[in-house]
Amino acid sequence: MSLALLAQATANGLSLAGLYALVSVGLTLVFGVMRILNFAHGEFVMLGAYASFWLFTLWGLDPLASLAVVLVLMTGLGALIQTTLVKRVLAAPHLNQILLTFGIAVTFQNLALLLWTGDLRAIKVWYSASSLTLGPVSLSLGRTFGIGLAMILTGLLYLLLFRTEYGRALRAVAQDPEAALVMGIPIQRVYILAMAIGAAYAGAAGVVASVSMFTYPLIGFLFGLKAFCVVILGGLGSVFGATVASLILGLVESFVGTFFAQGSSWAEAISFVILLLVLLLRPKGLFGVE
Amino acid sequence: MPLLELEALDVCYGDLQVIWALSLAVERGTIACLLGPNGSGKSTIMNSITGLVRPRAGAIRFQGERIDRLPTYEIIERGIAHVLERRRVFPFMSVLDNLLLGSFPPRGKAKRSDQLARVFALFPVLAQRQAQLAGTLSGGEQQMLAIGRGLMARPTLLLVDEPFLGLAPVVIRELLDIFARLNREEGMTILLVEQNVEMALGMSHRGFVLESGRLVIQGPAREVLESVELRQVFLGRP
Ligand SMILES: Nc1ncnc2c1ncn2[C@@H]1O[C@H](COP(=O)(O)OP(=O)(O)OP(=O)(O)O)[C@@H](O)[C@H]1O
Ligand SMILES: [Mg+2]
Repeated sequence: MSLALLAQATANGLSLAGLYALVSVGLTLVFGVMRILNFAHGEFVMLGAYASFWLFTLWGLDPLASLAVVLVLMTGLGALIQTTLVKRVLAAPHLNQILLTFGIAVTFQNLALLLWTGDLRAIKVWYSASSLTLGPVSLSLGRTFGIGLAMILTGLLYLLLFRTEYGRALRAVAQDPEAALVMGIPIQRVYILAMAIGAAYAGAAGVVASVSMFTYPLIGFLFGLKAFCVVILGGLGSVFGATVASLILGLVESFVGTFFAQGSSWAEAISFVILLLVLLLRPKGLFGVE
Repeated sequence: MPLLELEALDVCYGDLQVIWALSLAVERGTIACLLGPNGSGKSTIMNSITGLVRPRAGAIRFQGERIDRLPTYEIIERGIAHVLERRRVFPFMSVLDNLLLGSFPPRGKAKRSDQLARVFALFPVLAQRQAQLAGTLSGGEQQMLAIGRGLMARPTLLLVDEPFLGLAPVVIRELLDIFARLNREEGMTILLVEQNVEMALGMSHRGFVLESGRLVIQGPAREVLESVELRQVFLGRP
């Protein structure tokens, strides 16, 4: 294998990893504070991707500008879903929680199908064609932006978690909700914050995806499934674990796709193999504590 | 007017009633203890005061105002700190982060650095271990952290649930001294749950004894200690 190919595979892997990280940090955060698996999480990605597509198609808005709009809209949607729906099942049996979030997912999928049909949508922006060439590596500008964005947003999340009052409160709720309550932490607000961040970050991933991949009503399912792999691999509830697991899966998938014959068809399966192996050796995931 | 007043409280878990028509009052500036055998409902009462459990009937008043419908964070903001049973420090956070969480409520945040200095003066070991993860502290240190964390919100009333459980006698003496100082120097009101009857009554002005969710004895600590009924509750009725 050539060094150039290696570098190229790494670059592609990073771009995949960035996307995975944006989707999965929110999923793991929501699980960490509420102990709820949000099966509608992938649909936030789908909505973000469509928002980016329509803003571009109808008003010619550049996805980089749409990003700001999407972050705001998805924050609002996350907060709305939390306060109107998820809040009601927090104390309910797990089955009810699964049914609710699964129901939200199916609703959004069908709504998308109804409103926007099942067509594959793509947008052509100036930077999806042009690429950045660094020595032997060439990465489309769209993907470069994606990596940068993932790094910035993930960095901001760590700043929030480790440098702010509410970040500390989020971590406290994840460790011991009852003790957090008697610290005087308004726990419902913390829940809203977690869901809003989750939705906004997944929406951002959708914007990134809309530039380099097709958008259609079921992409949320695929992203959701991948995010579950990442989150379980990293350890349920661990934001750091999800970040590391995103890197691992992104890079491994890219390497397998690049270096093995018919690798791209194996790349998907390999994620599950890694997941199974890790779970056999370490049932709580790489950085899980439970 | 008492600082804290529980009136005809009924508390249930599902259909199971565990507290029956309980009334008690804690006067400002005093130390009171809540005694009773295992499972008699002591923690349930403490948890009702801070809203972790919601009473089915009755009223809870703090500084003369009803608090039993308020969300927990508002109850804390009014000046009640609750040191939970089994310490419950945040194990994967530093000692300092744990303490700062104690001053999450506005009333604590406003005077955060003063209060931190005060807590470090009371528990010098916490100052030395600021950066250490709370889960790696010894049992005694964790209890000090749990109490220190409660003090960070500058409470008027401190609720402490079984603080001495499993601690070495030297540490227990140290904590007893701290409670006495808080009460004497800051006029802090303390309501304490304890299994060790003599120790608890020895440090308190007033004692309350629970049996199967009902208040069966109350009065000045010395009188409770000498009462015949106390022996009946703890040794079983003849
Ligand atoms: N979450 C709960 N769900 C159902 N029943 C509970 C719950 N918590 C406590 N109980 C029951 O309520 C009764 C009172 O419990 P509580 O914990 O208040 O007693 P306690 O006096 O604090 O006991 P201990 O000395 O063991 O701490 C017990 O019978 C207990 O089994
Ligand atoms: Mg108890």
